[in-house]
Amino acid sequence: MKADSKNTQIKQRRPEEVGVKEASSKLLVVDDLTKVYTKGQGLAKSKIAAVNKVTFSLERDKPEIFTLAGESGSGKSTVAKLILGFEVPTSGSIRYKGKEIAKLNGEKEFMKEVQPVFQNPFETFNPLKKIHTYLYETEKNLAEADQGQLVEESLALVGLSLAEIKDKYPSEMSGGQLQRTSIARALITNPSLLITDEPVSMIDASLRMSIINLFKRLKEEQRVSIIYITHDLATAYYVSDRIAIMLRGEVVEMGSVEEVLDNPLHPYTQLLKASIPVPNPADKWESEIALSDLETKEYLRIGCKFSGRCPRVKAICRECEPENYQVEERYVRCHLYR
Amino acid sequence: MPILEVKELKAYYITEKYGRLYRVKAVDGVSFQVNKDEIYGIAGESGCGKSTLLKAVSGLLKPPLQVLEGEVIYNFGDDVLNILSLKDDKQRRQVRGARISHIPQGSMSVLNPVRRIKKAFQDLIRAHLGSMERSRFEEMVKKHLDALGLDWSIMQAFPHQLSGGMRQRLTIALATILKPDIIFADEPTTALDVVVQRGVVQLIKKIKKEQQNTLIMVTHDLAIHANLCDRLAIMYAGKIVEEADVDVIFNQPQHPYTLMLLKSLPKLGDKSIRVSAPGAPPSLIHTPSGCRFHPRCPEATAHCRRENPELLELEKGHRVACFLKGGC
Repeated sequence: MKADSKNTQIKQRRPEEVGVKEASSKLLVVDDLTKVYTKGQGLAKSKIAAVNKVTFSLERDKPEIFTLAGESGSGKSTVAKLILGFEVPTSGSIRYKGKEIAKLNGEKEFMKEVQPVFQNPFETFNPLKKIHTYLYETEKNLAEADQGQLVEESLALVGLSLAEIKDKYPSEMSGGQLQRTSIARALITNPSLLITDEPVSMIDASLRMSIINLFKRLKEEQRVSIIYITHDLATAYYVSDRIAIMLRGEVVEMGSVEEVLDNPLHPYTQLLKASIPVPNPADKWESEIALSDLETKEYLRIGCKFSGRCPRVKAICRECEPENYQVEERYVRCHLYR
Repeated sequence: MPILEVKELKAYYITEKYGRLYRVKAVDGVSFQVNKDEIYGIAGESGCGKSTLLKAVSGLLKPPLQVLEGEVIYNFGDDVLNILSLKDDKQRRQVRGARISHIPQGSMSVLNPVRRIKKAFQDLIRAHLGSMERSRFEEMVKKHLDALGLDWSIMQAFPHQLSGGMRQRLTIALATILKPDIIFADEPTTALDVVVQRGVVQLIKKIKKEQQNTLIMVTHDLAIHANLCDRLAIMYAGKIVEEADVDVIFNQPQHPYTLMLLKSLPKLGDKSIRVSAPGAPPSLIHTPSGCRFHPRCPEATAHCRRENPELLELEKGHRVACFLKGGC
């Protein structure tokens, strides 16, 4: 309660001041999104904000690859679930082309335009079902055509042919092929937005870049916007235009990927960057770092969630939650940049 | 003399399905040596046989895994041992844990979920050192945990109460408490967050420095190898295709597969186009004829399709298995 009253005193500065007019020029607006899960029962009940006041938006006319990056338990997958309508937000709103997603949920128009690609392609598909049936079903249900032409077109986009996947079960294909099929399925409806949740973490190193390059091509040629959720900052740097770094449910830094990763401002982003192993034996880690406490401890922390590990922590960090501060083109949630 | 010498090791998974024999050639003629006090890395994609190699080398042979050929010789200074010649699993078990230790992949499934962490330490110590007084046990564990920067209070915890990174650090502590001569680490950093990953590498380095043991590190992550290893072997479809000092592998790679792996690695601060090779790793049941990499190799010749290149020394300490690089 105490933290809440403090928040209202300081004038809220959001990355986007959203009005209805503005929203219609945007493809997707995520505004002050919060999702609270309750844990335990009775007296042991505690609340964890898996997503806390997340705000960002994607332009309608300018396709881009937007990365949500963070460690496990940072709430990045929960954001994906909320956008896809699998979960209902506790507060805040998500608007797709100016319309509230909660109201759109289940409508064909929305399902056609926003498509998911999941992490593990072997779990995406039923192992007992032939792979091509997924493509034909999507075409029939959502694209309202059953000629099979769209299936072949979208397979060609990902570099596969119908002959390669026809009458095959998921177990007969490699992870890379299967993930491409998963992307092809999403493309059948000609979507404007792809939500990809760790799409390459299960793919072999030698094939990973082919999927990443595919995303780049889709953005440029098919004008599809992509929300790329990952923990791998090296691929994020390679593929994306903008990035948001998440920590325990909050976006701590957001801006263009070059700015954020070349010159990180938030101490957490700095730590993340320093922890990426560099594939160069001349560049070994020398200094030691502090490791996080238990996850739940950080979620429940009052003030800045990173204050327990931050090398530049001040007294104010432990007492009061930082706001979003604008530094040139980007937003940083840190008291250092007040 | 090297502490570990592996000669022409062949380990297959042999299974029978519908009256037909299937042979998964997971390790197919692998030879290498590991010197004392060194960190030897083995890199490769999933399904290239690197975990099977570790199993065979540490003598963890359970059907359907069988060793068909080859020798694995340990030289501990005071004791020379051919682990595959030990017929009895009891004898092997005496060596494993005390002299050879194994940090497994996926700490989630390693610790018993219904027993406290302390029990795992008790079991291990009792099995190798016999029963001891509680105060001596506690002193021993406390000393080890202190050295690794872990807190004694986690001994009372159940595995589910700890985070993934903490569990992984605990399994490392458990694997090294008896000060083994050789540690095998099988993907110890996979599925961990980058920050925790760095913490685990930090911990492994610390143990290595303190106990002066030899480490064999298996992971698919080349960046981790670059950070940790002295020498590195690249595996592809059951064979070692290149082996050299880690600097040489990263700066002057020779095998087309190594080149391709390094080329596909994205780097921070570099947005130039990265490409990955066409095709996918082969199935180990139906391996390609000749050089196993030839279907994906951009420079493959008719010779590569027919015959299998041997792993030959190109320069001192740099071995490559490729006809195009002077192999025969």
